[in-house]
Amino acid sequence: MKFTRGEAASLAFTYFTAGLAVSVLHVTQGTDPVVVIAAALIVNSATSTLAFAAVTASGGSILAGVFSGWLVATRFGLFAAALGPRLWPERWKRAIAAHLAFDPSVALGIREDDDADARSVFVQAGLWLCVPWWIAAVLGSTVADQLGDTRTLGLDAVLPAMLIAIIFPQLRSRLGATIAVIAAALALALVEFTPGGIPVLIAGTASLLALRARPAIEVGV
Amino acid sequence: MLTWTVVGLLAIGVYGQRALGAVLLDTDRLEEHWQGVLRSIPLAIIVAVVALQTFTSSQAFSFDARAIGVGAAALCAWRRLPMLVTVLVAAAVTAAVRQL
Repeated sequence: MKFTRGEAASLAFTYFTAGLAVSVLHVTQGTDPVVVIAAALIVNSATSTLAFAAVTASGGSILAGVFSGWLVATRFGLFAAALGPRLWPERWKRAIAAHLAFDPSVALGIREDDDADARSVFVQAGLWLCVPWWIAAVLGSTVADQLGDTRTLGLDAVLPAMLIAIIFPQLRSRLGATIAVIAAALALALVEFTPGGIPVLIAGTASLLALRARPAIEVGV
Repeated sequence: MLTWTVVGLLAIGVYGQRALGAVLLDTDRLEEHWQGVLRSIPLAIIVAVVALQTFTSSQAFSFDARAIGVGAAALCAWRRLPMLVTVLVAAAVTAAVRQL
């Protein structure tokens, strides 16, 4: 399965709308628009800046906010570890490309059997989501006042919908479906009792089920 | 509210984890079974992210229009409709249910 124009358009649309919503939120909470744009470019993780904003808005300290921001980004480290070895033998190239490690870019890359395809799909998908996301951050933080509530357009459903479309092929295998059910159950069971980021990390341990699988029915192929 | 200091700290922590993950491993040193685990990590984590984004808000359970929109998207993905259709259906269904 190669990277298609439809997938490129979906990534661009999803991350453009997410970028608008996130930057509007930060600006309306009092962040300088220039800082919002810088955050989009160099932090490159909406979940991290949103986690920081949520913790500090509910009375948490700056340090607690920063720590939550790091914690919710641990998944990007795991994503980079999952795909990294298949990208390039040179570690400095992997380190540069790691900035593009997002949920969809890694999931699309890892679907490819061939390492060269995995690399090409990962880089293309990463750019097709990052560039619209950066443009939206610039646009959203400059015209924040004129945009209404993006939830009335249903845009809060767009990211989970796209992620489902990307992972669905893996759910068709018994092992993939089992891992998915356990991961979702773990995350939902823990969300009310643990700090942000922890439920997702613990849900990641569902991948250990792959140890029981014979290579022939390995997921992700 | 984000400040330059906060953005700097977040950037170091987030990029640090990405870069560390990317350079840490060489798959040819891993046994085949562990490679399978490595390839399943994104699946497990993404499913967890989807579950949380669909059924919770502010770390508490919530079932609203968004869950119905994402459900419609799952149906589209199951029927193998193009990803763009899936994404647009999710937004349209969520917006429509919210209007009710």
